[in-house]
Amino acid sequence: MNSTRENGIEPGNVTQHAVPRRPASAGRRVADLLANYGLIFVFALVLVVFSAVRPDTFLSSGNIGNLLTSQSVTALLAFAVMLPLATGRFDLSVGYHVGMAQVLAIGFQVNNGLSWPVAALLVVAIGAGVGVVNGMLVTRFKIDSFIATMGMGSLLYGVSNWYTGGQQIAGFNLPDGFSNLSQVLGYVPLPALYVAGVAIVLWIVLERLPVGRSLYVIGSNARAAELSGLRTGRYISGAFAASGLLCGVAGVLLGSILRSGTPSVGAEYLLPAFAGSLLGATSIRPGRVNVGGTLLAILILAFSFSGVQQLGAPFYVEYFFNGGILIVAVALSVYAAIRRRKAAVKAVG
Amino acid sequence: MTSGTLPLVAARGIVKRFFGALALDAASFDLRRGEIHALIGENGAGKSTFIKILAGVYQADGGDILLDGNAVDPAVNMLPLAFVHQDLALVDDLSVGENIALIAGYPRKRGLIDWSAVMRQVAPLYATMNVEAPDPERLVVTLSLSEKAILGIVRSLAGKPRALVLDEPTAALPEADAQRLFEAIRRLRDAGTSIIYVSHRLNELFGLADRVTVFRDGRHVHTTDIADTNAEQLIAQMLGRPLSGVEIARRDTARQPAVLRVDELVVGGRGPLSFHACPGEVLGLVGLRGGGQEAAGRAIFGALAADAGRIVLDDRELPRTDDIGARIRAGIVLLAGDRMRESTFPGMTLAENLIPNPLIASGSLWRPRATADERRTVHARLEQFDVRPRNPASLIDWLSGGNQQKVCLARWLEARARVVILEEPTAGVDIGAKLSIHQMLRKAAAAGAAVIVVSSDLEEVAAVCDRALVIDRGRVAAEIAGDALTMDTLIARSSLGEHGTPAHDSAFSNRT
Repeated sequence: MNSTRENGIEPGNVTQHAVPRRPASAGRRVADLLANYGLIFVFALVLVVFSAVRPDTFLSSGNIGNLLTSQSVTALLAFAVMLPLATGRFDLSVGYHVGMAQVLAIGFQVNNGLSWPVAALLVVAIGAGVGVVNGMLVTRFKIDSFIATMGMGSLLYGVSNWYTGGQQIAGFNLPDGFSNLSQVLGYVPLPALYVAGVAIVLWIVLERLPVGRSLYVIGSNARAAELSGLRTGRYISGAFAASGLLCGVAGVLLGSILRSGTPSVGAEYLLPAFAGSLLGATSIRPGRVNVGGTLLAILILAFSFSGVQQLGAPFYVEYFFNGGILIVAVALSVYAAIRRRKAAVKAVG
Repeated sequence: MTSGTLPLVAARGIVKRFFGALALDAASFDLRRGEIHALIGENGAGKSTFIKILAGVYQADGGDILLDGNAVDPAVNMLPLAFVHQDLALVDDLSVGENIALIAGYPRKRGLIDWSAVMRQVAPLYATMNVEAPDPERLVVTLSLSEKAILGIVRSLAGKPRALVLDEPTAALPEADAQRLFEAIRRLRDAGTSIIYVSHRLNELFGLADRVTVFRDGRHVHTTDIADTNAEQLIAQMLGRPLSGVEIARRDTARQPAVLRVDELVVGGRGPLSFHACPGEVLGLVGLRGGGQEAAGRAIFGALAADAGRIVLDDRELPRTDDIGARIRAGIVLLAGDRMRESTFPGMTLAENLIPNPLIASGSLWRPRATADERRTVHARLEQFDVRPRNPASLIDWLSGGNQQKVCLARWLEARARVVILEEPTAGVDIGAKLSIHQMLRKAAAAGAAVIVVSSDLEEVAAVCDRALVIDRGRVAAEIAGDALTMDTLIARSSLGEHGTPAHDSAFSNRT
């Protein structure tokens, strides 16, 4: 009866029957706290250590602004993979998808002469459409999400290269309105505000709306969800559609940041997006992907990598970093699940 | 057959203990050459423990096993026996030839699989059973049920066993398929193979077996030629006492209008099934494994598509769709029997497990959940259903089986449903939880629901149900109500199947 955390939620209503047989020790409390809010401590640690080592540069507003801007795309994509992950499905197309969206966002303006709002809306709509197709492949045609979205990713990469002929689209005359999408207002980069807005919406959807409960329930046991009257196919399709839409948004933002359309950009975002989402699943709501954990994980990845860079690490350390974090994150969550199960068995038996 | 011939396999005084409990208590059994020997007994009588000792899976704690009169230890040297289990373990997506090769081995040529030899070994194996072989290239998924059962037996013959052990081979077979299988088994016997035939269906033994042995409580009770016994005697030997007053109640005992009517329902090719359920009653659906009682429950709930028939709720015919959500809103709920795979949401809290689909209670997909309301509801339900720990944020994984089951029950019993279908409501829960779950069922019925219990636990059905229907091959074989609803009656009726009654045993005691 591992209930320190649970009792904390609503101590007033816990009846005498819910009192743990074995009072939780202080050590246990600390362990539980770490399990739930571990990433916050890690984030604080990263900030303290690197600002001590590089006091002038690490916490400078310039560095923070740059980080928040460059990580906004990663954060949006981490949210994009999070939604299908909540239902137990993978969306591996997000990397190539954001690449295509970025190419189209620039290309529609430069090649087709569309105004930037129209181009942006079109890209977002195409993104949602791609997501719908992903969802249909997974639910209607019963293709494993891993395979379906991997194939879709390659198709999208093909589209980017077809559209550009493999060449970069230079964005010399992009309107200010488009470039200003990623400007810094005072100290706050706009992209960070977009991420915050998306985060708030997703938090409400996942934590406070019936639809969020349904997504998690499907991820836990799809068969039981079906027997509870949930049309699992619709929810899963919806999660993929939302994922595609977020990829479109991220693509527009990336286009605004890069101010050019490069077909080779995109694939490198896939891994950090999954690393963020899965590392996030170890915290705040341990055991399931969640908005707060994902945001924290992205911040930790960004700030610690930036810190290491300022210490003079070469560029390729980033790959070690992302890959290592992904493996460690999943290992941690598996370990945490085993630990919690053991504690539960002990309490029951 | 003369009693002087040496048995092929003889077991003498076999003892097996599990953690101190006696599973087999000096059990004996002998198998003659070229006979079909039925082994019967209640669940827990020791049949499967005995079979597993013959197979060398368990080692006996005492007693001897003789092969051709010589003592052997099956755990060291395998007996020349082949075992065919009920689920056959065939691979549907492979061909007949390959399924046989999985057991018989793949013939090789220069280290590579010789595919034409793989296919060539099919026909001779079928020939030993005197059955026409299917095309070896045919996929198993295209075979009929009886063809699959025969394939399961045929491929076990690849090792040239001297005896076969068949474990409830007809459990899932429709009547016609069962007859085809019996024919094949008789031919095999006539060709000289001995067969141990484990079954719960007494009726079919009379046309098939030569001798029958009854086990009870781990002991050998009786062995006799099948011609010298009848169903009533066998049931009495299985129970350990004579049958007490089998009387089959007439239909329409309930006076109230039915809330649910099932009319000529056919599911998975089995049926037709017709019955009704009244508000305030607990109705049991029992039968042997694969009898079709589960399929019926699922079809009513919409989780399985019915082939034909009508389901009428409160005089309104339900469409034959498979939309579970619509059925739940109409007032039919189902608690699945496989708790781990179909009921609980692992890694989720009790609150989430209680309300996995907030839409049922109220509201739209996009309206925020009233968290305070939900918390009150959850607390009330945990209290009412006596779930421990009574903590909404505890994960379901942390609860004992009984408490998990209470959470799942609370999910549906509180949904104000008109018809509540429960599969094996107390499987794998301790006795305390079992009793309180039974009380909850009675309470739900008293509140006006029709509670339908699909259970293989006959003791439970006798204890909690007002009325029970014995389902066999998708039809109502018997209806038992009132004082007649005892465990004995249930055992007797479900072992006899559709046609037999002990009063007319002459109908099935003549051998074919």
